[in-house]
Amino acid sequence: MGPLIFTPPVRLASIHSPTANARPSLLRWKNLLFPLPFPLKRGKGLGVRGVLLALVATLFFACTPHQHQKNVYRGALGANLKTFDPAQASDSYSNQCQFQVYECLFEYKYLTRPYDVEPCLASAMPEISDSGKVYTIHLRSDVEFQDDACFPNGKGRRVTADDFVYSIKRMTDVRTQTFGWWIFDGKVKGLDAFRKESENLPPFPDSIHPALYDREVEGLRTLNDSTVQMTLTKPYPYFKYILAMPYAAIIPHEAVEHYGEEFLNHAVGTGPFVLKEWRRGLRLVFERNPKYHHGFYPTQGEPGDSAAGLLADAGKPVPFIDRAEIYIYQETQPMWLNFLRGNLDRGGIPKDNYSQAITSEHVLRPELAQKGIQLNRLQQLDISYICFNTDNPLLGGNKKLRQAMQLGYDVETVIDRFYNGRGIRAQSLVPPGLFGYDSTFRNPYAHYDVEAARKLLADAGYLNGAGLPELSYLTLANTDARQRGEHFAQNMAALGIHIKVESCTWPEYLERLRRKKFELVGASWQADYPDPENFLQLLYGPNAPPGENNASYHNPEYDALYQRMSVMPDSPERMVIIQRMKTILSEDCPWILMSHRTTELLTYDRVRNVKPHPVLEAPLKYYRVD
Amino acid sequence: MRDLWEKIRKRFRRDKLAMIAVVIITGYILAGLLALVGILSPDYKVSIGDAYSPPSWAHPFGLDVLGRSVWSRLVQGTRVALIVGFSSTFIAIPLGTTLGLISGYFRGAVDAFVVWLYSTLDAIPTILLLLALALVLPTGKGLATVCIALGVTSWVSTCRLIRGEVIRQKELDYVRAARSLGATDLRILFVHLLPNVVHLILVQASLVFVYSIKSEVILSYLGVGVQNFPSWGIMIDDARLELVGRGVWWQFTAATAALFLLVLAFNLFNDALKDVLDAKQR
Repeated sequence: MGPLIFTPPVRLASIHSPTANARPSLLRWKNLLFPLPFPLKRGKGLGVRGVLLALVATLFFACTPHQHQKNVYRGALGANLKTFDPAQASDSYSNQCQFQVYECLFEYKYLTRPYDVEPCLASAMPEISDSGKVYTIHLRSDVEFQDDACFPNGKGRRVTADDFVYSIKRMTDVRTQTFGWWIFDGKVKGLDAFRKESENLPPFPDSIHPALYDREVEGLRTLNDSTVQMTLTKPYPYFKYILAMPYAAIIPHEAVEHYGEEFLNHAVGTGPFVLKEWRRGLRLVFERNPKYHHGFYPTQGEPGDSAAGLLADAGKPVPFIDRAEIYIYQETQPMWLNFLRGNLDRGGIPKDNYSQAITSEHVLRPELAQKGIQLNRLQQLDISYICFNTDNPLLGGNKKLRQAMQLGYDVETVIDRFYNGRGIRAQSLVPPGLFGYDSTFRNPYAHYDVEAARKLLADAGYLNGAGLPELSYLTLANTDARQRGEHFAQNMAALGIHIKVESCTWPEYLERLRRKKFELVGASWQADYPDPENFLQLLYGPNAPPGENNASYHNPEYDALYQRMSVMPDSPERMVIIQRMKTILSEDCPWILMSHRTTELLTYDRVRNVKPHPVLEAPLKYYRVD
Repeated sequence: MRDLWEKIRKRFRRDKLAMIAVVIITGYILAGLLALVGILSPDYKVSIGDAYSPPSWAHPFGLDVLGRSVWSRLVQGTRVALIVGFSSTFIAIPLGTTLGLISGYFRGAVDAFVVWLYSTLDAIPTILLLLALALVLPTGKGLATVCIALGVTSWVSTCRLIRGEVIRQKELDYVRAARSLGATDLRILFVHLLPNVVHLILVQASLVFVYSIKSEVILSYLGVGVQNFPSWGIMIDDARLELVGRGVWWQFTAATAALFLLVLAFNLFNDALKDVLDAKQR
């Protein structure tokens, strides 16, 4: 999912929805209104009053469509959806929507922990050679694409190994301009050369399917109709997770060729749902894919899942619902009010409405519980932090200054006031839930201590901030981010450090990170796959901008350790290396570590099979509505 | 000119409401000046208590999300509002007056150009134009940009009004007389015509002033206005979510009341001024 800056811990983007009994009051009205104005027995027609009433009724129901439909979910999305092209699935909103339509070779297990993947379009887990580099993957031979106008006669055809190879090649093609190339960058034999060659291709749409695509890439071959062999440059232990990322979804080349530049507005996949309607800025409607037969509800879960009723549907074919309506809410208030009215089935809790939902003892308020609302908590695989630009001579050259600023920042208050206590203070960049997390690990500078901070600042040569220029702190232009920036500035002012908060738009923010045009920046990172490597790479020297190492941090020992751990399976030895890397970071302090956040989700209990998962944010296919 | 001031003074002395308006405006200006020199509310950045403390004897206006005094931020917001009001008026009025005078007087190609310019400017939705300007101006986002952006966009109505008046007046006897005496165009424009349209300029100035203050609040609310400094718009933005969710009403009430009172006072002042100066109503 890449960088998500300081998104509030509210998951608006959760999908869910009210069902037939979502608005009982409306249904009652319907029963009252319709019998009255239609004196059908006498056959006299409606009369003026009847026509008027019928008109009012029509208008009334036209504004609140689909009340009567059975088995419908209604959910919310917290931002406008940009695209349905898997190659552009860089934000969690796109991920959630694409998950309904597109599928990868592997997908995450819904119930079991720790997080792991299982076959989806593959028929089994990959056969990995002893060197750990050659992956042989068998695909299911009974899966067809959904019916769509892009296919001959509009009938979706069978998915083959060639489709996977095509999908990866299209993503690799520079002209696709994907955000996700990094998932394969340098990892698959021959793929980088393919990417280089694609630079010489004529621009789209002249050659949507150039001859280059038909040439075999050494590390990405089909052995037969339903077998793929991938050869990696190094034995990356987390490669199976990469194959479960939305960027690696299987798309039919017919759709890309047929729709051309419009492909981003269409979704032609193999998933449990098909995209029925997409009214930009308003809503998305998904309906059951009649050709989807290969998904089943998991039969295994964690201890306690069975008692929680999460295994009642074990082994049954999914999906259980027929239709999902996802409404887009740019503002949190209307989303929240609609959730409380029962118009949405699942929702996050906006920061300022927190006390309306959760008591000071951190349990759900009884009046909400009485409505049949349930609370689910999820420890996110994330880290929020403030990043120093170590390319800046002042910030990069003075370790003590950075340590002082970390000590002088009251992160506990941030967690308390801006996340409503939904988070823990980070001691390293590896979040709980991942290999490499150690709850006993202590970073000597990751706590709030103004006195120690002042002392370090004096040691750094800036007694009470004297001699320090004003530093700029870059953040997003929204109320929450600005308030957090003001809070940071206030904390720093107490040390004598002057901070100027700079707010900018999301594209400008990304651009400035890429060009290193900042001094300090507020940021956060959400795991793309459940391996600590995904976090440790954020400070790997060669990943400096335009890569993901926004701090431009560079430490030879750290880099060498990274190279070792990144190709190592989980083991005590790997743990030792990770601990050493965390210690190096604690001392060098390229970031001000902030928090690992917890998400709280509210769901009406008419929705069954709800278990929060950090990657499967909207696993609609497993949901059932009573 | 002296005659004009005399008329205004007489009128205001009779009109109680207008006098109240003048007092309120003076109060605001005084508060803004005191804040500017650092006497009033210099503590607007620091926490002086718990977050979201409701109004009390110690803090009659309550505290905000970071425990800062809402009163101090309100006063600093007044300072920002007045700076924006005055500076954009000082840009817009001379610009609009000059362009109106020359286009109305010279007509022809100059007039065609000026009319084209203000018609084009007027056709673009104001808020969008302000947003765009705030993003592209080299001063970057902030107070200076807001002042410039408002100044260069709000001269249109002044220009249009002055132009119309000049077209009417330049055929009057006093202008013809001046011309036959050999006065230069420049002299006719600024010595003869300008004093005869000054009543319009005064009314326009007070309108532009109010408009600028309102626009600053909207821009700051949208996040492209004042940066790193309290503004009524930023206060309302802060209050937007906490009002519904937490019931924190004091910040919202204070900021909107301050804006309301100032705009109301200016409108009353403006009405009275118009009554004195507008020839049609005399």
